[in-house]
Amino acid sequence: MNSRKTMWITAITLITFSLPLFIGHAAADDAKAREIMQKVEDRDDGDNQTSEMEMILIDKFNNERIRKIAAFSKDKGEDNLRLMFFLHPADVKDTAFLTVDYDAADKDDDQWLFLPALRKTKRIASSDQSGSFMGSDLNFSDMTSRNLEDFDFFLKKEMDVNGHKTWLIESIPRSKEVVEETGYAKSLSFIRQDNYVMVRAVRWVKDGGYLKYIDVKKLDLIDGIWVPTEMHITKKKGKQTAHKTILKFNNVKFNQELDEAMFSVRQMEKGL
Amino acid sequence: MSHIRHRIEKWFESFAGSVFKHRIKTIAIMGIIIGLMISRIPGIMIDTSTEGFFHEKDPELLAYNAFRDQFGRDEGILIALKPKAVFDLKFLELLKQIHDDVEATVPYIDDMTSLINARNTRGEGDRLIVEDLLENWPRDQEDLNALKRQAMSNPMYKNLLLSENGDYTTIVIRTQNHSSIGQKDDIMAGFDDDSNEASPDLGDSPTYLTDAENSEVVAAVKKIVTKYRSEDLGIEVAGSPVVTHFLKQSLMSDMRKFMVLALVGVAILLYLMFRRLSGVILPLLIVGLSLFSTIGIMSATGTAIKLPTQILPSFILAVGVGTSVHILAVFFQRLRQHNDKKEAIEYALGHSGLAVVMTNVTTAAGLMSFATADLAPVADLGIFAGIGVLLAFVYTIVLLPALIAILPFSTKKTEELSGNSKSMDRLLEAVSRFSTTHPRKILAVSAMVMVIAIVGMTNIRFSHHPLHWFPKDNEIRTATEAIDAALRGSITMEVVIDTGRENGLYDPDLLQRMDRAAAYLESFEYNDVFVGKVWSLNTIVKETNQALNEDRPEAYRIPDDRDLIAQELLLFENSGSDDLEDIVDTRFSKARFTMKLPFVDAINYRPLKALLNDYMAAQFGDVKYHITGMMSLLAKVINNSITSMAKSYTVALVVITILMVVLIGKVRIGLLSMIPNLMPILIIIGFIGFTPIPMDLFTMMVASIAIGLAVDDTIHFMHNFRRYYELSGDPQKAVFETLHTTGRAMLVTTVVLSLGFFIYGFATMQNIINFGRLTGITIILALLADYFVAPALMVLVNKPMKPVEITKG
Repeated sequence: MNSRKTMWITAITLITFSLPLFIGHAAADDAKAREIMQKVEDRDDGDNQTSEMEMILIDKFNNERIRKIAAFSKDKGEDNLRLMFFLHPADVKDTAFLTVDYDAADKDDDQWLFLPALRKTKRIASSDQSGSFMGSDLNFSDMTSRNLEDFDFFLKKEMDVNGHKTWLIESIPRSKEVVEETGYAKSLSFIRQDNYVMVRAVRWVKDGGYLKYIDVKKLDLIDGIWVPTEMHITKKKGKQTAHKTILKFNNVKFNQELDEAMFSVRQMEKGL
Repeated sequence: MSHIRHRIEKWFESFAGSVFKHRIKTIAIMGIIIGLMISRIPGIMIDTSTEGFFHEKDPELLAYNAFRDQFGRDEGILIALKPKAVFDLKFLELLKQIHDDVEATVPYIDDMTSLINARNTRGEGDRLIVEDLLENWPRDQEDLNALKRQAMSNPMYKNLLLSENGDYTTIVIRTQNHSSIGQKDDIMAGFDDDSNEASPDLGDSPTYLTDAENSEVVAAVKKIVTKYRSEDLGIEVAGSPVVTHFLKQSLMSDMRKFMVLALVGVAILLYLMFRRLSGVILPLLIVGLSLFSTIGIMSATGTAIKLPTQILPSFILAVGVGTSVHILAVFFQRLRQHNDKKEAIEYALGHSGLAVVMTNVTTAAGLMSFATADLAPVADLGIFAGIGVLLAFVYTIVLLPALIAILPFSTKKTEELSGNSKSMDRLLEAVSRFSTTHPRKILAVSAMVMVIAIVGMTNIRFSHHPLHWFPKDNEIRTATEAIDAALRGSITMEVVIDTGRENGLYDPDLLQRMDRAAAYLESFEYNDVFVGKVWSLNTIVKETNQALNEDRPEAYRIPDDRDLIAQELLLFENSGSDDLEDIVDTRFSKARFTMKLPFVDAINYRPLKALLNDYMAAQFGDVKYHITGMMSLLAKVINNSITSMAKSYTVALVVITILMVVLIGKVRIGLLSMIPNLMPILIIIGFIGFTPIPMDLFTMMVASIAIGLAVDDTIHFMHNFRRYYELSGDPQKAVFETLHTTGRAMLVTTVVLSLGFFIYGFATMQNIINFGRLTGITIILALLADYFVAPALMVLVNKPMKPVEITKG
C-alpha cells in the first residue's frame, strides 16, 4: 500500500468517525431550552435569608419521622454561605452544618460539621454530592446550583401544571463525572412560564432504577421573591413508593441582618 | 359386588357407544376445551430460586420477604478476582475497567462495590474524609504501599472485598429486589398519587426480580468474565443468582431431553406391542393433549415450573399412556375377531373401564398426597401430575372412541405368538410355580429383607444442598468452594433486630451487645460451618467514631453517649454514603445483623441456628428479633421436606389402604394387599439409608410416587386372582392363570414405567438422577412383590374351595 493511499484512507476514516460528533453536538443542545434554564438560574432568589425547615420523612411502610432545622443563608459575591442548626429531634439538637457553595465549577464545596456530643468541629472533605441531604430524598446536588455548562437541555413540550403554563425541559449530563457527582442520569424539569420557577421535576437516579418526583405544592411570593415553601419529593420504582419527603419552609424572611462573621466555626460551636 | 361391577361395565359400554355415535360433536367440544387450556401455555413461568420452594404464605418466606422489602436483597453475585498481585498499578487499572464495564453492561444492579468505590471514611487531623478508596489514583509504588496498608487494615473490607492474605479481591453486585416490568409506563403518572397527602400508597404488591431478569444479569456477568479472564487473572463467580440461573438452564435442557426420550421410548414400546401406526399415534396424541392441557392449567393458575415439577411432562407421558394401552389391547384383539369398530370399542371399554378407573384413581391419590406438602413445588407436582393423570384418563375414554370412529382401521389376521411371548409364558409359569409351592419361604425371606430395610432406615440422613446437585466439575460448584475457602463464605444468614421504638438503635448498650455478639459469632466453627464475617450498624458506628477521633485505633469502639451515636449517624447519613439504607430502617428502629457463611449442606446449619437462637434469647431479650436470610431459607427447606414427607406418606398410606379395601371389597384381603404394596417402598427407603444418597426433597418423593404406581399391579393381580379363584376354587390355579393373563400386562407396564423413570438418569443434576433411578428400581421391586409375595400370601390365606356360581357376562 503506498503512502498516499494510506493518507486518503486515514483522512476518510477520520472524517467518517468524527462527523457524527459534529452533527451530534449541533443537535445536542437546544438554544431556547438553554435560555430558559439560564433565566431560571438568574432568577432572584433573595439574600440574607432565614427560615425554619421542617422535614417529614416517610418510609415505604408509612412510618414518619420529623426533623427541624434553622437555616441561614447569605450571598458572598457569586458564592453562597449556609448555616444550619438542628432543632429537632432532641438527640441531634445543636448539631450544625456550615457550607460554602462556590460558584466556580471546579471548586468543591467546603463543609464543616459540629457535633455537640463530641464538642468538636470537623471539616468534611467530599466531592460526592449524590448523598442524601439530612436524610431526605433530596441530595446535596439538589440543594446547590448547578453549572449549566454541565448539561445539554432540550425543550420537550409545553404543559399546564395546576393551571400554570410550563415548559418541560430535559437535562442530560454532558459527562459521566456529572452523573457520578449528582447521582442522576438525567432529569425533566417543569418551568413556569410566568416566573421561571421550577415547579416540578422528575430525576432518574443513577443506581437502583429509581425515579424521584419533585413536586412544589406551595409557592409563595415573599418580599417579591418566589419561594417554594412546600415540596414533596417521592422516590419511586415503578408504581412503588420507596420513600417520601415533605419539605416545608416556615417563617421565610429575606434581607435579615446576617453578618458574614455568623457563618463561622465559632458561631457553629456557640449555637443559636 | 359382581352385580355392581356388571352395571359399571354396561355403563362404560353404552358410554363408548354414544361417543362413537356423536363422534364429530365430541371431538369439536373436546377440541374447544383442550384448545382453551393449551392457549394458556405461553404464560408459563420458570422459577428455580430458593424462595420458590416455599408456599406464598409460609412464615419463613413472609419473614424473608419482609426482610428484603426493608433492606433489599441479601443475595448477590460475587466476582472474585485473583491477579498476580492486587496492589499493582496495571491490575488496578484493569479492575477499574472491569468495574466500569459491569456498571455499564449488567442490568438491574441495585448496588455494586469493589476496591474502586469502597467506602473509605477516615480522619486526618480535624478533617473527616469521606471518599471512595480509589478516588485519588495511586501514582507510584509509595502510593500503592500506602493504599495496601489502608485497605488491608480496614475491618470492613476483610473477607468482603479482600481475602485475608490479599490474594483475592472481589466485585460484589447486588441486584434489584423488584422487577422492572411495567416500569416504562407513563412517567407523569408518578405525580398523581399525591392527592392522598403524606401517605405514599403501597400499590399492588410488587413482583420480585423475575427469572428472565435474573438470567439477563447472569448472562451479562458471564460475558465480562469471558472477556477478562486470562492466565494472569483468575476469575470465579458465585452467589445464589448464578446458582438459580444454572439450575434454570439445566432444568430447561433436561426437560426437553426427558420429553424426547420419553416420547421415543414410549413410541417404540407401543409399536412393539401393537405393530400398528394407529397404536402409536392415538395414545401419544391423547397423552400429549393431556400434558399440554396440564401445563396450560399450571400457567393459568400462575404456577411456575420449578425444580421438582420439571419431571412432570415425561412423567405424564409415561404414566398417562397406560390407559390407552389397556383399552387398545382389548380393542385390537376384538377388532381382529369381529371386524366391527363400534362393537370392539364398546367391548374394550366395558372390559377395562373399571380397572383403568381404579388404577388411575390410586395413581392420582399417591400423587395428590403431596398436595399437603409444605414445599410448594412438591405440592404442585402432586396436584398437577394428579390432574395430568386424570386428564389422560378422561381424554382416553372420551377421545379414543371418537377418534376410532372417524379413523379407518385395517383388520389383520391374528398373529402367531412370537418366540418372545412363548419365552415370557415359560418365565411366568416358572414364577407362579415357585411362588405357590414355597409361600412360607418367600414370606420368611421377605420378612428378613424387611428387617434389614428397617435397619437401613435408621441410617437415613436428611439433606438440602443445591450445590451438590451440580456435577462435581461444574464451574459454579468449584467457584463457590474456592470462594468459600478464600473469602470465608458466600451466603448469608440475617438477624433483624427490632427495638420497636423510633431511634431505638441509638442505645449504646444495645450496640455494644451487638458488637459483642459479632465477635462471639465470628469465633463459631462446627464441622464445615463457620461464620466468616459479621457486620451491622455497630460496624458503621465504630468506623465513624474512629474517623472522628483522628483515626486512633482505640477509638474503633461504640461510644457510651447516646447523643453522640445519634450525631455520628446523622453525620454518616450526610456523608454521601447510602449504605445505611441496607442496614437500618429510616426510623432507626430496626437493624439488620448479617453473617457470612459457607454454602454447605443446609442440615449442617442447624447447630449454628440453635446456638444463635439461644444466644439471642439470652442477650437480646429486651428487643424483638428474627432470623432470616438465604441460609435460613435453605435450612427451612429441610424442615419442610421432613414434614412434607411425613404428611404425604401418611396421606398416601391411609388413602390407598382405604381405596384398596373399597376396590377389593374385603377388609382382610384389602389390608393384606398392602403388604406387597408397601414392601418395595420400605426396601427402597432402607436402601437409601445404606447408601451415601441423602433423603432430600427429591428422594422423599420416590416413595409416594412409587406407591401410587406399584398399587396398580397389585390391583390387577388381586382383581384377576379373585375372578379366577371364584371360578376354580383353587388358589394355585388362580395364581397361575392370573400371572398368565394380567401378569403379562403388568410386565409391559412395569417396563414402560421404569424406563420412564430411568430416563432421568440422563439428567444434569445428581438429585434428579437419583430420583429417577430409585423410582425405577422401586417399580421393578413392586412387580417382583406382585409376582412372588402376593401369590404366596393368597395361597396361604385362601384354602381350596368349591367354585362360586357367577353370572356370565
